[in-house]
Amino acid sequence: MKLITHIVKWARLKSPWVLHFNTGACNACDIEIIAALTPQFDLERFGVQLKGTPRHADVLLCSGPVTRQIRDRLVRIYEQMPEPKFVVAMGTCSCSGGVFQGCYNVMGGIDTVLPVSAFIPGCPASPTALIDGLVKLIRSVEEGEP
Amino acid sequence: MPKSRRVQVTIGPQHPALKEPESFLLTLEGEIIRDAGVRLGYNHRGIEKAAEGRSYVQDLYLIERVCGICSHSHSTCFIQAVEEIAALEVPKRAQYIRTLIAELERVHSHLLWLGVAGHEVGFDTLLMYTWRDREVVMDLLAALTGNRVNYGLNTLGGVRRDISTEQKDEILKAVDALEERTRYYIGVATEEITLIDRLSGVGKLSREDAIRLGAVGPTGRASGVKRDARKDDPYGVYAEVEFNVVTSDRCDVYGRTLVRAGELMESYKIIRQLVRAMPEGPITVKAPRKIPAGEALSRYEAPRGEDVHYVRANGTEKPERVKIRAPTLANVQVVSHMLKDGYLADMPIVVAAIDPCFSCTDRMIAVADGRASPGTLTWEQARMHGIEWHRERGLDFADLNRRFAGRGIH
Amino acid sequence: MSPEQQIELNLAKTFPYLQGKIRIQRARRVFVDVEAEHFGEVFDYLVQRAGFTILCTITGLDLGATLGALYHLAQESGIVLTVAIAVPKEAPVIRTVTSTFPAADAYEREMVDLLGMQVEGLAPGNRYPLPDNWPAGQYPLRKDWKPADEPARPADTKESVNA
Repeated sequence: MKLITHIVKWARLKSPWVLHFNTGACNACDIEIIAALTPQFDLERFGVQLKGTPRHADVLLCSGPVTRQIRDRLVRIYEQMPEPKFVVAMGTCSCSGGVFQGCYNVMGGIDTVLPVSAFIPGCPASPTALIDGLVKLIRSVEEGEP
Repeated sequence: MPKSRRVQVTIGPQHPALKEPESFLLTLEGEIIRDAGVRLGYNHRGIEKAAEGRSYVQDLYLIERVCGICSHSHSTCFIQAVEEIAALEVPKRAQYIRTLIAELERVHSHLLWLGVAGHEVGFDTLLMYTWRDREVVMDLLAALTGNRVNYGLNTLGGVRRDISTEQKDEILKAVDALEERTRYYIGVATEEITLIDRLSGVGKLSREDAIRLGAVGPTGRASGVKRDARKDDPYGVYAEVEFNVVTSDRCDVYGRTLVRAGELMESYKIIRQLVRAMPEGPITVKAPRKIPAGEALSRYEAPRGEDVHYVRANGTEKPERVKIRAPTLANVQVVSHMLKDGYLADMPIVVAAIDPCFSCTDRMIAVADGRASPGTLTWEQARMHGIEWHRERGLDFADLNRRFAGRGIH
Repeated sequence: MSPEQQIELNLAKTFPYLQGKIRIQRARRVFVDVEAEHFGEVFDYLVQRAGFTILCTITGLDLGATLGALYHLAQESGIVLTVAIAVPKEAPVIRTVTSTFPAADAYEREMVDLLGMQVEGLAPGNRYPLPDNWPAGQYPLRKDWKPADEPARPADTKESVNA
């Protein structure tokens, strides 16, 4: 690989920037994501920063089952992210629809709409589970299989 | 002087300022919001319908997840209605435990809000401090119920877990520590001039409007409306503990901050009374699977305000109808009103001040100038429009950039 | 006499047709069945003269041949009185109460979207809570509507994105 590719890959792995998107969740996972950034769990020591725009993000961190209303926005946000990009499904609802499986207006987990790189189960997924999931994702990218 | 044009900005459903999806259509004149429309429904999951297809106990787990911050509120509000229809006498100890978890939930929620409010006004230190303290409550809740959120504590006829004497001591110790920290935050809120200035006069809601629009919870109480379901329509064991309903006459976001901080102190008082007075006894009573035909209306003072559940039973294992009116739905109508004639920059904190259960943003500017139908601008057009607009008013950024470049300021 | 009994007495005195239609379930909970055509006057009396100045929410119901609307009104004292009306499913028309309670806007729109209620006098506005592309005539909260009936995913958007 060219030097610039190495550097870019290193930068991405050392500091994945995350965009958080709530696709119809109850909020528990969203709060746990923010909690992961606070002193007790401190995601920022891994270089993870929460960004406001998809254009700056490497990782799309989704919480919640996908509702019909949010589906198109989710796709649009994903398309606005530059490559390479990863989608992380946070919480049981994002993995499979969770307790809302079969509800009208709920399409299911994130993987019904987008390709998901990492699934983090839990209801809600605790901040430690989130850290575990993100570390696993980074490691798998390092080893070359996103 | 160029005529002021009104621009419509859509904020939502995905936005860094908000943690949940909802959409605001703001009509701006310069920096002032002239009109605000709210669009909801992004979180609509069809829970009421799903509840009809599941048993009452299954519904407990579903309804808990209406909201992941006040999950116990929804769970308890629901089960109270069912227990009323079934004429179940919930044991005293169970009621004490339910009320205890309810107040702990209020504590974690208000600390959460303090942090989020700080973040919305750029005071991230407050976010980090309050959420670190909040972890004390989260650890306590995890130890008492098995989870940080979505406790699964309630069952039909009581609670699923008991608390031990050691846990009671831990609760008292934690409350002592939190009370000291909260006193510190109240000190900050009442003495830190920049914070006071930032929050005062923002998101104004007069007492008359609060009543007319039906504001609930701390939002209403900060406009002097002294309503609290724990006092007005007591449930659980609230009739047996002493506490004050905190109100403020400030009618703005600062008032809402003071009310929530005051409620934290009251919650600590309640928790201590509950722990000390908790009676011995069973924690559940036998409950039937089929609930006889009947109906009940249950009210609960969730951290965000009054939560209302209506349940109708039809003699089977599954409810005939479950209706949920969460507090935020009552308050969202108030938000449009509060945003009017305020600054765009205040929008996140005004929305955050009702402690909403939603957030998100999308980005598109529609210029409505009354002549042509609204069109869309590309980023480049928007940028050129901005440069032109400022040049017309005597501000030339190209010139400013040149002048500052030499001084190393960016 | 308890406050609830006083309310019952006054209601029955003012509207004799409500005799026998009022039920006190427990402290602070009263339920009353009202014919749809009498709703306006009973509602106005409760709000303007009996101190029921708070609207907790409105519950819509599918009762089979009719659609029901339950108005949960409360006093500052904490007493909640539920007024229940029913209208035929073929012509489910009720009048808006948003002139008295602006917050009722969301509650009424919910009944429109989810049950197919028709609310006269409701100002035009965004629907709630269903998405704009939800097909007409589909009312999820009606008893005969199954999630399996849920309309297929919209054809004008991509099915899914696969890298």
